[in-house]
Amino acid sequence: MILSFFTDLFQQEFLLRALLAGLMLGILAPLLGSIVVVRRLSFIADTLGHFSLVGISFSLFMSSIGFVTFFEKEFYIGIVFSIIGGLLIEFFRRSYKNYKEISMVIVISLGAALSAIFFALASATGSLYEYLFGSILTINDESFYLILITLFIVSIVFVIFGKKIIAVSFDEMNAKFMGINVGMFQWVFIVMLSIVVSVLLEAAGVLLISSLMVIPVAAAMRVGWSFKATVIISVIFSELSVLIGLWMTYSLNIPSGASIVSINIIILLIVALTKRISNSRRIKKTSSISS
Amino acid sequence: MQIYINNLTFAYGIKTVINNLSFTLNQGDYLVIKGKNGSGKTTLIKCLLGINDVKSNTIFYDDVDVNLFKQWTKFGYVSQSFDDFNYEFPITVSELLNVSSAKGVDEQTRLKLLDQMKIFNIQNQNINSLSGGQLQRVFIVRAMLNNPKILILDEPTASIDKQNKEFFYETVERLNEEGITIILITHSDEIENLNYSHILTMHRDTSNDYKVRIPLQKGGHTL
Repeated sequence: MILSFFTDLFQQEFLLRALLAGLMLGILAPLLGSIVVVRRLSFIADTLGHFSLVGISFSLFMSSIGFVTFFEKEFYIGIVFSIIGGLLIEFFRRSYKNYKEISMVIVISLGAALSAIFFALASATGSLYEYLFGSILTINDESFYLILITLFIVSIVFVIFGKKIIAVSFDEMNAKFMGINVGMFQWVFIVMLSIVVSVLLEAAGVLLISSLMVIPVAAAMRVGWSFKATVIISVIFSELSVLIGLWMTYSLNIPSGASIVSINIIILLIVALTKRISNSRRIKKTSSISS
Repeated sequence: MQIYINNLTFAYGIKTVINNLSFTLNQGDYLVIKGKNGSGKTTLIKCLLGINDVKSNTIFYDDVDVNLFKQWTKFGYVSQSFDDFNYEFPITVSELLNVSSAKGVDEQTRLKLLDQMKIFNIQNQNINSLSGGQLQRVFIVRAMLNNPKILILDEPTASIDKQNKEFFYETVERLNEEGITIILITHSDEIENLNYSHILTMHRDTSNDYKVRIPLQKGGHTL
């Protein structure tokens, strides 16, 4: 089965494209995911994803009533709505300073509700499954290049602002004393995250975006000894999940987001168990030395 | 840099925490702020650092109103129990100091500070594996990285042992002698050993909730 996957890979153009797209997303998701985890905003990607979905459903609705020219590129409208979602989170965050997660619940609920309404108005509920769980195999050329450009932009942002992004993420309050404009950072971060969430949406579906961003990072945190090492390990875990997940998707005909996330979870469990066993061995060893 | 506070009043909702506080500190002064929990010590610090919003014409740095002040790199700040820091995600001491350095701060400066604070040997360790005392030194190094003129320390000895406390106070004194203005919050009994130039006692007045009214007193061993 694995062999036929490999031979098909070089015969079927769509499969190779899906694999390359998956590998690029496999870098993007944990890279942004690391920052999201450090900032304790693990739910933000799902929240923005829901708002991106509002953009998509709104575009479908507008197209269905005749406004085609502007709204046929639903992906871009998705990004704009995702940014609006980010602004709404910030807005509600200020009202509930000590309960930051409340703002995400409000925005995610609004996103889900508006999406459902627009999908229904556009009579497009049939395509809902695809948006909820994603499908990397049907990715077209345009989406492929969008992912490539996103990876390029995010890499540049990280090369130029990486240090500042990490500093603010670990300690927002202290960033001010390093001469960092924290408000500016929030903006850059929300816009970048909105774009990444929107490109992930097509491949992984709105329900699984956060998983792709957070789970490889959660696994890497258990074994990483430094920030750099943790991010690199999370990317390795993520790529491994993409490779195995895509093979499963192709051979078993199951949604790509779901299979990739399942592999991610399996890796997390293996890492957590191995870590626990090695820890308890070490404790036994030290206690036998001391006794 | 001169710090000038003019009739500062601050309230959380209807609770007045700071009432009509005024004082002046010059470059190189060493101010100790003491008082019980809830007397407004940290609130005052947050006003000074522009974290709490205050009215115009109440706090000035070299004649610049705090609401217009931009040169925050002149401040070094070590917060109470470092609770603003996001723990658990792995990051080494040298990684943290590297990303915390403003433009123009080189490796040499970092290594020198690590050496001075006697934590040179832990620079490649994960922050999460450090003891309270080590962590505190790391945060002091971070506060010192960008060569601040004013160092603000909020109850920095709360979670460390006696030996580390002594080392800490010696370090603060040395920095003060180098000309750095120190503002140190404490509510412990260690004040008598400190070589401060000014002291501010803050009270939580029971008849009038959270009222601060003891003026700045000149004091300390050098005077």
